[in-house]
Amino acid sequence: MNNFLPGDRSKFFLSGLLFAIINLSSFWLTAQVLQKPSVRVDGEVRTCLILYADDLLKMKRTDLMFKDFSGLEYRYSGVALTDILKQAGVSTTKLQGEDLAKYLLAKSADGSEIVISFAELDPNLTDQTIILADQMNGKPLAPGTGPFRIVAPKDKERTRWIWEVNGLTVRYARE
Amino acid sequence: MLNDVRYFGVIVALLVAIILFIHANDDSAINVISTDPYKLIYPAYFGNRITIPEDNPTTRQGVYLGRMLFYETKLSSTNKISCATCHQQKFAFSDNHPFSTGVGKNSTSRNSMSLANLLWVRSFFWDGRTKSLEEQVTVPLTHPDEMGESLENVAHKLQRMKEYPPLFKATFGTKKITGDRIVKALSQFERTLISSNAPYDKYLRGDYRPTKEELHGLELFMTNPVPRDGIRGGNCGFCHGTPKLLMELFHNNGLDTVPKDIGREKLTGLPADRGRFRVATLRNIAVTSPYMHDGRFNTLEEVLDHYNEHIQQSPSLSQFLQNKSNEPGGKRLRLTTKEKEDIILFLKMLTDSTFLTTPAFADPHITASNDHLKTINDHHE
Repeated sequence: MNNFLPGDRSKFFLSGLLFAIINLSSFWLTAQVLQKPSVRVDGEVRTCLILYADDLLKMKRTDLMFKDFSGLEYRYSGVALTDILKQAGVSTTKLQGEDLAKYLLAKSADGSEIVISFAELDPNLTDQTIILADQMNGKPLAPGTGPFRIVAPKDKERTRWIWEVNGLTVRYARE
Repeated sequence: MLNDVRYFGVIVALLVAIILFIHANDDSAINVISTDPYKLIYPAYFGNRITIPEDNPTTRQGVYLGRMLFYETKLSSTNKISCATCHQQKFAFSDNHPFSTGVGKNSTSRNSMSLANLLWVRSFFWDGRTKSLEEQVTVPLTHPDEMGESLENVAHKLQRMKEYPPLFKATFGTKKITGDRIVKALSQFERTLISSNAPYDKYLRGDYRPTKEELHGLELFMTNPVPRDGIRGGNCGFCHGTPKLLMELFHNNGLDTVPKDIGREKLTGLPADRGRFRVATLRNIAVTSPYMHDGRFNTLEEVLDHYNEHIQQSPSLSQFLQNKSNEPGGKRLRLTTKEKEDIILFLKMLTDSTFLTTPAFADPHITASNDHLKTINDHHE
């Protein structure tokens, strides 16, 4: 809708200026935001998500306890992958039929990729909770091993515990 | 006056008719052409995670045209440089300079990469900035320090050459040459550059028996050191492993504390990506010197010395290169001279002489006979 009267140039000018300022500031904001690490949740989901550190802190949190070689306890905390996927509109509980052919591809900023099958996420099929961790003992993960890391507590070796996670993609397995 | 207007009207009508006639016969018309699929042959152990875009299937005609274009100097603004100038078959489609000289005054800012097994690559360049070969191809063609020519100009030049319009017709259905078609054909050819016949491949197939030293080198290459268990290793396999010797990874490999070229950080704006570059393929590594994104090392010995003794600490240094040592609590890798030599012997097992010499990848302008062109044309006229 055009609210301007013909000839009302000052309004045009002011609105143009305002438009330019809003655009420039939004560009600046985008540029700032882009430089923060984030995790993109995409693929066969209902809603694509881009999660920043603050977003994960606001979600339902899950803690996992571990013991190091000397028996000292330490705690990884973050958000269960099941809860992240639920927010993206993807159910990983009571899986049946073709949902059992789905998987999550987790990607790291260094290019590493790992697969977690949906069957590994369904509480009816497994007794482990795989999380996207962002804290250890209440502190952000150390540079180089964070800010977001897959923690799969029942894996014997930690080769799937990729760090610098920046993407979670849902797919159906295809031949 | 009225007559003049009528006369003008007739001319306009004629022009419109001519334009319509040209358009009816031009290349925007949908043409059903018969092309023969090009069979890409590779070992099963390379895996099928390959990328061929739906709108650019690999055909025999397209691959041949792409090969012609790859060696065509008309693709550059000076008509003196082709893709093959900086990507020479004998160097596994790289060159032997730290940086390459194109049509401009400046040399390139990064080392020319070997073009082998691109079928499995999902993001291209040293920093992984493009997601398809088609996108990649456009960059060196138009970059002022490389070939420096617009795709429109290239298309225009080729359109006037005798040999190209029929080849485009055989590939795409019409003689019209466009930037898009040039890029597609070049990508098709590059997808065929598969290196899978090195002594290492023959060993994997059971056709080659490595020497004791080569086997020792292979074992060290693939092993991470665990000094408390007496396990010695070169710690190479984590980033360079798999039978393809290629993984889609980006790491800061400790070349500098403060890198002059910030690598992937330029793309992502993330400090964690500072000095991070593609982990290069090790296929044919013995013939692709100099090494690293800036070609700073001339020999494999220098490369091994770097990983063994000179990794530079920085906040973005790869976790996989930190505190990896063959000595308990050591900060350096500490392989012996003999161990380094054996790893290099293994690396030389990756030289695929078939890849470096096969006429299928060589300059067709030298080998192509008119007969060959005629065959292709006859087939599709």
